[in-house]
Amino acid sequence: MTAPVRKIISQSTVDGPGNRTAIFLQGCNIRCSYCHNPETQAMEDAEASERTVPEVVEEIRKSIPFIRGITVSGGECMLRAEWLKELFTAVRHLSDETGHFLTCLIDSNGTVPFSSHRPLMDVCDGVMLDVKAWDSVIYQRLTQSANNRIVKDNLTWLLQEDKLTEVRIVCVPEMVDVEVILNNIAQIYGFIGKSAPIKLIRFRPHGVIGALSAYPVTSEEAMNHYISIAESLHLPVRKG
Amino acid sequence: MADIYSIVTSQKLSYEQKVVALAHAAEDTLSVLPMPERTKFYFAQGVICNLNEGNAPYRPRYIMPDYQKAVKDGVKFLELAPPQDFDELLTFLQVLYRHVPSITTYPVFLGDLDKLIEPFIVGLSDSEVKRKLRNFLIYLDRTITDSFCHANLGPEATRAGRLIMEVDCELAQAVPNLTLKYDPSITPDAFAEQAIYTSLCVANPAICNDPLNAKTYDRYGISSCYNILPIGGGSYTLTRIVLPRLAAMTNDKKEFLETLLPEAMLCMADYMSARIRFIVEKSGFFESHFLVKEGFVSRERFVAMFGLVGLAEAANHFAPEGKKYGSDAEADDIAEQIMDAITEFVNQYECPYCDIANHHLLLHAQVGIDTDYGITSGIRIPVGDEPESIYDHLRHSSRFHRYIPTGCSDILPFDITGKQNPAAVLDIIKGAFSLGQKYIAFYASDSDLVRITGYLVKRSEIEKWNKGETVLQNTTQLGAPTYASAHLANRKVRGV
Ligand code: SF4
Repeated sequence: MTAPVRKIISQSTVDGPGNRTAIFLQGCNIRCSYCHNPETQAMEDAEASERTVPEVVEEIRKSIPFIRGITVSGGECMLRAEWLKELFTAVRHLSDETGHFLTCLIDSNGTVPFSSHRPLMDVCDGVMLDVKAWDSVIYQRLTQSANNRIVKDNLTWLLQEDKLTEVRIVCVPEMVDVEVILNNIAQIYGFIGKSAPIKLIRFRPHGVIGALSAYPVTSEEAMNHYISIAESLHLPVRKG
Repeated sequence: MADIYSIVTSQKLSYEQKVVALAHAAEDTLSVLPMPERTKFYFAQGVICNLNEGNAPYRPRYIMPDYQKAVKDGVKFLELAPPQDFDELLTFLQVLYRHVPSITTYPVFLGDLDKLIEPFIVGLSDSEVKRKLRNFLIYLDRTITDSFCHANLGPEATRAGRLIMEVDCELAQAVPNLTLKYDPSITPDAFAEQAIYTSLCVANPAICNDPLNAKTYDRYGISSCYNILPIGGGSYTLTRIVLPRLAAMTNDKKEFLETLLPEAMLCMADYMSARIRFIVEKSGFFESHFLVKEGFVSRERFVAMFGLVGLAEAANHFAPEGKKYGSDAEADDIAEQIMDAITEFVNQYECPYCDIANHHLLLHAQVGIDTDYGITSGIRIPVGDEPESIYDHLRHSSRFHRYIPTGCSDILPFDITGKQNPAAVLDIIKGAFSLGQKYIAFYASDSDLVRITGYLVKRSEIEKWNKGETVLQNTTQLGAPTYASAHLANRKVRGV
């Protein structure tokens, strides 16, 4: 089995905790207007190459012992759930073989239900989940995708299963209902009695070709405002 | 004498710098060390270099007093009773530091500062401690006007260590250098991450592989430019062999390894032995100095550092055309042969008065001096030849660090985004240390403080010096030409 690998970054500090090797798969099922990697949206692209799991594992091996794990991102990597399961299983074997433990994380837009991929989740250490909007109309406008019910289900399910590594919110004033998202997350955290870190990401138009390409960088004041809301809700939050 | 006249009349040297330069000039009028013909030859060729240690040594080059003992017992010679509170401790240390001799005339080792301070700050608030520490550190920076001065932290996390780093972050000074002794089984991640964050702000502290370096002696400290030396002792001398200049004498690797290198090493080792004998037998240091008399250092705990520099260029000289140390196995294998030959030599050569080193000289990866054109520090990879991947770079270091007991290090400029994820930098350090890398220093690529070869200088001070103004720090004078000649601005910046 192969998957279209767009690129592998052996040393990444922005794709989860610590230093990680990040693998980017080609293809996304939604169209965010602030997407920073629009070139990864098409399901096929000449720049991406079909790679087998053993090939990718050999790339990962070169980063040992300098990383604490890998992160698979996209596009949307959950569109290749079977391949992911095979990769994570192979990485577990690599950990056993080298004695250097590696965690396997998924970076996802949450449009594929994780609960229907149990075997994958058994070998996955956690998910960094994008919550792009709470209101479904806002979500639709932002992503050109029908609705975000699955994203919300995923949030709850992953939290319950202790697989929610981080929630990510890209903050674009007026375009994203950041406050509503934070309020709802706080309710869910309270209801389930668990929590996960929240990363508020400042929107920057650099590299964006979608509808928000002419939008300004989110101001420092706006970011601080969101942070203070999150803090008042007792959410574990940080700026990214 | 022209030299002395130019020292006296210089407008670039500060008053203190003139006094030191004049003392040097006076010492160099003596010739008390034997200089056989071949030794003289290798000196003249610049193959052996005594790093301006002077012709009649009257104190060991690096002294590592047992400050813990001094604080406990007091110092009779200085009429200092054991300190009873934090203020007394800081005054005690200020006075004692002032009287520790060294090659630079300034103390090169300030002790395990966190451990010295920790018992004295119980019951004081953070802000009170920081206010006093700030004054203490400013005093050190402005009076020890030479960056070859080092204080140690860790491996345990302490409140004192945390506060020292916080104050260091605010002050952004070149003195003292700090090193965190890091042991992943002792040092909590949060403490190590604070150290990394601090380092990305002010290029301090460096991180030392504690479990590996602790094997060298029973108690070690880091002094000057990353020297790993026994506490309660130090190093009599540091003399170095400049490998590329020796390699330039032949194109035949066999001749180099079997004739030239052994001969030059023997000359250098004999010269070092003569220096040691003079210090111990003639200079009177071990009979008269209060540090010895009161047991803060002892002769049995001194070593001698056999320095080497430019392994890269020497290996490249004998490597096939286009093959380079750091990225090609052919050149690396030759470097390994050279290191094996040097190691074999020092392991069989017996030198006097080096009890703690089993009567052997100990290898040191000397970091270079301002007049080294085209010669890379110790065993480092030349600027510009660094491997694309930082992982390969660190694997390479590990392979060569294992040869060097008394100090070797890598200096990496990191992209400023590292500040947002010190944990990622820590992962890289953990990986490198697990492979045998011994010592890593880094700074953010946008920092005013930059590491030259081991010591820190401010880019802004270099600019002043280059314009002909006097500067406070001696090391700015060394750093300015080195920063340019060694192309340090071109060091490969590591993105994180
Ligand atoms: S989920 Fe959105 S931001 Fe992420 S790759 Fe797809 S379109 Fe781009």
